[in-house]
Amino acid sequence: MLPNARSEFLAGCRDITPVLVGTVPFGFVAGVAAVGAGMTPLEAIALSLFAFSGIAQLVVAQLVAAQSPALLTLAAALVVSLRFLMYSAALSPHLAHLPRRWRIALAYLMTDQGFAMGTHHYSQPGDRRLRHWHLLGVGVTLFTVWQASVIAGAVAGAQVPAAWSLDFVVTLTFLTLLVPALRTRADLAAAVVAGAVALAVSGLPYRLSLVVASMAGIGAGVLAERAHRR
Amino acid sequence: MNEWVVIVGAGVVTFLTRASFIVFADPHKFPHAFRVALAFVPAAVLAAIVVPGLAMPQGALDLTPANPRLLAGLAAAVVAMKVRNPLGSIAAGMVALWGLQALAG
Repeated sequence: MLPNARSEFLAGCRDITPVLVGTVPFGFVAGVAAVGAGMTPLEAIALSLFAFSGIAQLVVAQLVAAQSPALLTLAAALVVSLRFLMYSAALSPHLAHLPRRWRIALAYLMTDQGFAMGTHHYSQPGDRRLRHWHLLGVGVTLFTVWQASVIAGAVAGAQVPAAWSLDFVVTLTFLTLLVPALRTRADLAAAVVAGAVALAVSGLPYRLSLVVASMAGIGAGVLAERAHRR
Repeated sequence: MNEWVVIVGAGVVTFLTRASFIVFADPHKFPHAFRVALAFVPAAVLAAIVVPGLAMPQGALDLTPANPRLLAGLAAAVVAMKVRNPLGSIAAGMVALWGLQALAG
């Protein structure tokens, strides 16, 4: 059967379903965190619609709670969003033929999980011309479920018992992305150094440890790759 | 007021990083060194988020078996290495955490 737009879109919606088990509690936690930081539910939902990024929303909530300056908060949001640069560079050859409004929509809807699913789907053999519909199906499904979960969290506020440890879903979500990202020794060097530095400088204010650790990890990866080439 | 600056600003920052190469630029026009560095961004940023989440759950370093998040995270990582499906490793991590917390009473 020749793939058509509708079947690609629906396949995208279906393929991303297993991921939603992490999306729902993560979104809920992000909603709770924003309200807990002193935002109104409306502000929490607006943040989620503008940023549509769990980790960026959590970092913003933490820094708003710490009453840090707006510029520093946005710098931290930028650092956790740096990985989107890499995703964007990797996906751009597949999307270069699309009209601008398609590329803007798919860029806005891009997430860690959506990127992982998209690169896997584009790597499959066969006709690739309509695969952006698959990406759209993945993005729309994640977007809808994410926003609904954030709204539920923002409205429920801090009524969830702490003993449920729902916040651990956030760490686990990024762990499931980290493991497949470690393909080479240089990747491993980047991760080990970033992790160690994050622990060593955790005392820095305004979550600067995240910035410092990420940069150290990237540097370690580059050096490891150079040493390997020689 | 300050909240809305941050809310809209976070939207701008996340959109511009996502749209960077898909909408605005051709990655091949950037220096090779930049693209090499870019390749290590996910491993570095994700580890900088995950490692403190496992090793210092209460804000202080705890690498002992008494830290349930460390053990639960290791269990989830083992599952993630075996199966591609994130459902499996997230479920394994949460079940391990709840189990360890129940054991610790």
